[in-house]
Amino acid sequence: MFIPYTVANPLLTVRIPRLLPQRGQVLVRAGDSVAPSQIVAQAVRPADFRIVEVAQELDLSARNTPSCLKVERGQAIQEGEVLAARGGLTSRVCYSPLTGTVIGVGRGRLLLEAQAEVIRLAALVPGYVVESRDGSGVVVETVGALIQAFWGNGREGYGVLRMLVRDPRHPIRASHINASAQGTVLIGGSTVDEESIAQAIELQVRGMIVGSVLPSMIPRLRKTRFPVIATEGIGNLPMSMALFELLRSLDGREAAVSARIGDRWQPMRPYAVVPMPTHAAPKLNPDLPLKAGDRVRILGGEYRARSGTVSRLLEGLIQVETGARLPGIEIAFSESERVQVPQTNIERLL
Amino acid sequence: MAEAHKIESILVADCGTVLTKLSLVERVANSYRFVAQANSQTTATEPWNDLSIGVIKAVQELEAITGRHLYSRGRIVVPRRGLEGVDAFVVISSAVAPLRVVLAGLVREMSLESGRRAATGTYATIESTLSRESNGREEEQVRSPQEVWARTVRDLNPDVVLLVGGVDGGARRPVLELAEAVALGASMLGEEQRPAVLYAGNADLRPYVTKLLGDITHVVIADNVHPTTDTEHLGPTQLALEEFYIEERMQRAPGIDVLSDWSRLPFVPVANAFSRVVDFLWHREGNRDRGALGVDVGAATTTMAVTFSGRPYVTVYEHGVANGITDWVEKHGLARMARWIPEELEPEALEAMIHNLELQRYTVPQTTRELWVQLAIVREMLRSVRRSAQPTWDVGDASMGHLTLMPRIDPILISGGGLVHTPRPGQALLTVLDGLEPVGISTVLLDVNRAATAVGAIAGIKPLLAASALEAGSLVSLGTVICPVGKGRPGDVTMRIRILYGNGGELNVEAHYGEIETWPLLVGERATLEIRPTRRFDIGMGPGEGGKVEVLGGLLGLVVDARGRPLLLPENEDARRRLLTRWLWDVGG
Repeated sequence: MFIPYTVANPLLTVRIPRLLPQRGQVLVRAGDSVAPSQIVAQAVRPADFRIVEVAQELDLSARNTPSCLKVERGQAIQEGEVLAARGGLTSRVCYSPLTGTVIGVGRGRLLLEAQAEVIRLAALVPGYVVESRDGSGVVVETVGALIQAFWGNGREGYGVLRMLVRDPRHPIRASHINASAQGTVLIGGSTVDEESIAQAIELQVRGMIVGSVLPSMIPRLRKTRFPVIATEGIGNLPMSMALFELLRSLDGREAAVSARIGDRWQPMRPYAVVPMPTHAAPKLNPDLPLKAGDRVRILGGEYRARSGTVSRLLEGLIQVETGARLPGIEIAFSESERVQVPQTNIERLL
Repeated sequence: MAEAHKIESILVADCGTVLTKLSLVERVANSYRFVAQANSQTTATEPWNDLSIGVIKAVQELEAITGRHLYSRGRIVVPRRGLEGVDAFVVISSAVAPLRVVLAGLVREMSLESGRRAATGTYATIESTLSRESNGREEEQVRSPQEVWARTVRDLNPDVVLLVGGVDGGARRPVLELAEAVALGASMLGEEQRPAVLYAGNADLRPYVTKLLGDITHVVIADNVHPTTDTEHLGPTQLALEEFYIEERMQRAPGIDVLSDWSRLPFVPVANAFSRVVDFLWHREGNRDRGALGVDVGAATTTMAVTFSGRPYVTVYEHGVANGITDWVEKHGLARMARWIPEELEPEALEAMIHNLELQRYTVPQTTRELWVQLAIVREMLRSVRRSAQPTWDVGDASMGHLTLMPRIDPILISGGGLVHTPRPGQALLTVLDGLEPVGISTVLLDVNRAATAVGAIAGIKPLLAASALEAGSLVSLGTVICPVGKGRPGDVTMRIRILYGNGGELNVEAHYGEIETWPLLVGERATLEIRPTRRFDIGMGPGEGGKVEVLGGLLGLVVDARGRPLLLPENEDARRRLLTRWLWDVGG
């Protein structure tokens, strides 16, 4: 049976795909060493363009327009520069609406293109390029801790991790965020509110890791310029203990945070990576069958977002509240607290 | 692959957006049966980027279940060698992103509407519509229409521009203006990135459009989708878009080259495979005055396939129960979902649950609240796909006389993880009744093993084998439903029914307006019904007209849904919740 997984691991070899939103140019090669802020690929975003109806503006036929043009194809132009003019009693002038280049002339029109904007993609993590994908990006390999989340606001950044709460059930409050938060990635337990976000922006926080975000906060967070990731999803959920403990152990270390979630056809997991000064680390094998002792997290029902270890795989089916009978598993949260949940609603923590 | 007449075992890989399902069908005695199934996560996206990885994992699970060797030396063994391998391996898929289409045309209610309907016939998303009629975008205030259109084509960089407009012999200049703008937009993209253009407008302009765009990009010509003001002709455009989807998307899916090396059979979109099954059901029933209908509610899309008078129609709605559902809610509002929840639920809690369904799409409902939310989503997907699909049908003799009503349909096939895994059959049936609002008399079949699409895939190679597998219990009957059309007061008698059971038993019952009522009729059991509707109610035989019909039993037996059409929910929230709960009790949900 297929069991999904989330990586929450203190030391492993991580491969991070760094992909451009559109085709472009890869600036590094496989084997190159890269630093977090190093640009590894870039692309040119399609520039603004305008069709200028010269004949119409000068009140001429298309055939008579070329003699009035003051510019030619390929010529650089400034906003407000004269593109064409006709003299005489009814003199008229046609000005450029943008700064750029004339890329087309004909049929009484000019086609102008603005200066293109370059999108630059940084490595985000220190490491080595292990794969260069022609025109689309690279895969960077690094060694360190990796924590995957479920939701993110689409931004990226890096900074020093700073744990703000003592309990995974506690939200981030504005009162937690003081001047020492500048340049850090803040870690909370459950959620974050509007006031805390405003405070974080003012104090130039570099990122935020929380258990969950309320649906009403999503539009606000999408506009926030630093990355925010939620490890458990949407709602008012505490961070699962396994992830909270791992993040607490990493307090004070530098982390890279990617809050990109892709789209519905190419979903991506948001994540935080904490590079470690070592070269040797194990690689994960998510294909091993689930067994007693494995760390898991619950994704549905009353125990949603709680993590524990597999006590045993149940042989028969268990009945859940809906009346459905599903293959079950017993999970231990502690020595004394064990629960039975359907296998369909758990994931392995690797 | 073995020759068609020698095929005795087929392995079907159905690569969905979330799960890859493998089904093994084999000859057992004189019929063909589903021997085993296995699932794995679909691996078309990061970190795998290779569909074949998920297929191999599912094959390994299937090997463990059956004890058979199917995979050896890095490939599926085809043809079979003794007990190793299978005679044929078929791949169907809905895992890859749909075709991205920009629709360009003239009149919203005519050519553009026809273009939109044509695009719903396959996995396609209309990213933008180019038309003289305002889209209300800010840039329209400062830019010329051609500039806006060219910019849209360039910035969206779609797979295909579907250019429609003008009846044959009609408008010329406006269509050519659109073509010029498309040419300009496409020419600003790199040669390999340029969208293909599918022209299905005024036939007189084909040479001009080809001349204008032919040097810039690949142009395909199809029959005009709206050749006269009162006719619509979607087939050729739908076929062309489907070919684009197969070429641009399916055949370029990551890892498809590996699967192609093992299969050597053409890849089939899941929607087409599903449509074959519905078409088969129509031919099996042989009722020219009724259609056959199937709905497949998947994670990312909802497919409705129907056949009327031997002609199949497919509609792929671009939303399912998980991927993209938050986009749907953003567009249509949370209230559309909330109205189906039979208990009090804060809007923010409902919104959070919908978000988490999208983020954690593998999970199944564990609490009743989670189940109500999932079934609310299914209801809205069914209503949405029906709204998209119904205008494309020529229902012929199956019409109930009102365009807003469902035509006569029998049977109704329901499939997809969102429906077949409901804990109680009544929950699935009620969801379908609420979502589709069928009328007349219909048998409702549940694709309990989610094997219908596999059967459809097999039908492309060996139709007899597919028919045999379908007859051998792939589908379970939920029962026969009778849905009268008409208005009455709650409690009014809508019809009287004499149920004559096969064993000689007899039951005389009445069905009342506003109620759902069920009477026993076991799975596989047949009964003759003598139905006498009261004069204001029509069960598909005319108002007040009844007669004798033979019906099939099912998990819920005989069900009369006399709640009226269209189905109306009370405005008052408490009253609505009470009513929803009562309906659930009525069907044992």
